[in-house]
Amino acid sequence: MKHAEVNRGVLRGYLDGELDSGRLAAVEQHLKSCNVCSGELATLRHHVARVRDGLDQLPDLPDADNSATAWSAFQKKREDWMDSRQNKWTLWQKLSLAGGCVGVAVMVLVLTVAPVRAWAESLLAIFRVERFTVLEINPAALKNNGLQNNQLLNQAIGRVLSDEVTVTQSPQRPRLIADATTASKVAGFPVQLLPSETPSSLLLESGAGMNMKLDRDRIQSILDEAGRSDLRIPASVDGAIVGVRVPAGVMAFYGNCGDEASRMMGEAVTSQGTKNPSATKEHSIVVHVGGADKPVPNAGASANQVSQANTVRTGDKPGQEADATCVSLFELPSPIVSAPQEIDPAQIAQIALQFLGMSANDAASFTQTVDWTSTLVLPVVRGESKYEQVHVNGNEGALLRSANQRQSDHFSLMWVDNGIVFALNGTGDDTTAINLASQLE
Amino acid sequence: MSDRWVEAEFETIFREHYQRIVRVTRRVLQRDSEAEEVCAEVFLRLYRSGPGVASGGLVGGWLYRTATRASIDALRANRRHGVEEELECDAFLQSEGLAEDPLTRLLRQERIVEVREVLAKLKVEKAQLLLLRHSGLSYQEIAEAMQLGFNSVGTRLARAEAEFSALYERHQRRSSKTPQLQTAKEGQ
Repeated sequence: MKHAEVNRGVLRGYLDGELDSGRLAAVEQHLKSCNVCSGELATLRHHVARVRDGLDQLPDLPDADNSATAWSAFQKKREDWMDSRQNKWTLWQKLSLAGGCVGVAVMVLVLTVAPVRAWAESLLAIFRVERFTVLEINPAALKNNGLQNNQLLNQAIGRVLSDEVTVTQSPQRPRLIADATTASKVAGFPVQLLPSETPSSLLLESGAGMNMKLDRDRIQSILDEAGRSDLRIPASVDGAIVGVRVPAGVMAFYGNCGDEASRMMGEAVTSQGTKNPSATKEHSIVVHVGGADKPVPNAGASANQVSQANTVRTGDKPGQEADATCVSLFELPSPIVSAPQEIDPAQIAQIALQFLGMSANDAASFTQTVDWTSTLVLPVVRGESKYEQVHVNGNEGALLRSANQRQSDHFSLMWVDNGIVFALNGTGDDTTAINLASQLE
Repeated sequence: MSDRWVEAEFETIFREHYQRIVRVTRRVLQRDSEAEEVCAEVFLRLYRSGPGVASGGLVGGWLYRTATRASIDALRANRRHGVEEELECDAFLQSEGLAEDPLTRLLRQERIVEVREVLAKLKVEKAQLLLLRHSGLSYQEIAEAMQLGFNSVGTRLARAEAEFSALYERHQRRSSKTPQLQTAKEGQ
C-alpha cells in the first residue's frame, strides 16, 4: 500500500479493526517501514485512550429494564401531544380560512404562523411588510415531510427559541377599547374603520418584541430530525442576532360575530398563562360595546370603566356562531425584523420553500420573483383555499377564499397601505370585499 | 408505506431500543429525569415523523443520531442557563458498585463535569460521533446513523478524538493548577 493511501481515516479504522483483511495486511506491512505512519498511529492511539478515559467517567444506568414503565409514561406524553396537535391544527385551519378569524390569522402570520417559514422570513436585513403574495403549497408534499412534522417542528423550534430568545416586549391579552380616536391614540397610528358603522367589539392587541440569537447547528438539527438533511443552513446564520418587533394593532368586529371577540380574549389569556386570577378564561371580562344594528347606550365607555364594572354583557349567547353579517377587520403597522446584512434572505427562503415541499428548481424560481425584504408570503394549501391578487385603493392585495363549497362565500382580504397591514374578513363576493376595504377611513 | 405507525410495531421498537437510547442520554445529562424526558421526546419525534423517517436506514440509527443530538442540545442549553451539575445521586453510585468515600465521589463528579464540558464545547456532530462510537456502534452503524459515507467515518472520528483530547487535556491542566480537592484527598 502506498504511503498516500494510508491516511488518518485508514489508520483509525485499523485501530478499530474496521479494515477488511486485505487492507489490514497492507497497512501492517506499510507500518513496518514507515516511521511517519507509525508516529501518526501512536498519536491516534493516544487520542483514543484519552477519549475512552474521559467517556468512561460518564455514568451508566443499572441493567434493570424499565422500558415497560417508560412505555406507559410515553403513552401519556403522546396523548398530551395529540391533544395539543388538535388545537394547533385549528389555528392552521384558521389561517387557511377554514376558521375565518382575521385577527387570529394575522397574529398567527406575524407571531406563530408556519414555524417552518418563520425563522426563514425573519432573516432579513430589515423586514417590513409592504405587500402580500400567495404561495400555493402542494398538500402531498406536506404529507411527506414539511407540515406533517409541524408538531415536531413547533417543539424543536420552540426549544431553540426558548433557549435563545430575549423578550423585549411581552404581548398582553387583547383589551377592549372605546372608539377609533382612543384606539389611534393608544396604538400609535391612525386607525381606520368602516364609516357609518359601529363596531360590535373593538379590541386593542398589544405589541410584542423579541431578540433571538441563531445557532446554525441547532437549526440544522431541526431539518435533520425532520428528515431533510439534504438542506443545509449556511454558516452565515450562526450567531446572528435577529430582532422582531410587532407593533400594537386593532381588531374591529361588525355585525353578529358570535363570541369571536371573547374567544380571542380568552385564547390570549390562556396562551399567556397570566398570573392574574381575574384574567383567567373563566373570569375574563367580555363586553361587546355595541352592535351594528343596535348600538348600546354606553358604547363610549372606556375599557377601564368597562373592566371595573366586572360584568359580562355580551349580548350574545355563549358559544354563538358568527353569521353572514359578521365582518372583522384587523390592522397594525408592519412588523419589523432586523438581522445582520451578511445573511442572504433569498438563500434562506429557498431552503424554507424546499422544506415546505417545493423542488429545488421551483424554490429557486419562486425566490427570484419575490423581494424578501418587503413581501409577506401567505402559504395556501392547494385544494383548501382559493386565492387571487387584487388591488385595494391602488395597493396590491391578496383575496383568499375557502375551497370548501359551504364556506366559499367567506373571504379574507389582506393588503398593505402606507405601512399599515390590513386584513378584512367577511361574507360576500369579490366586489363586496374590495368595496368594503375601499371605504375604510 | 403508510405515513402512520402501526401501534404494535411502534411499541416493539420502543421496547427494543429504549434502554439503549436512555443510556446514551443518561451519559450526557446529569439528572435521570432529564435524560428520560429527552429520551421520551426522541421517541415522540419518531412517532410524529412516521415510519418513513427511517426508510433509508435502520430505525436504531435514527434514534441514536436524534438522541445524541438532543442530549448535546440539552447539555449546552443547561450550560447556557447556568445549570450547575450536582453530585450524582447515591442510586447511581450504588448501581456502579462504588463504595466511595465522599471525597473520592466528589473527585469523580468533577471529572464527569469536565467531560461533559468538553462534549458541550465540541461541534455537535463531533460529540455525536464520539458518543456513538463509545456506545459500541460499528463504523457501518455510525455511517448509517449519521448519514455519512463509510469511508469518512474513520477520518471524522479521528478529528473528533483529537479535538476532544486537546480540550480534555487543557481542562485537566487547568484543574491541576487548582488542586484543592486533590490536595485535600492526598492529605487525608
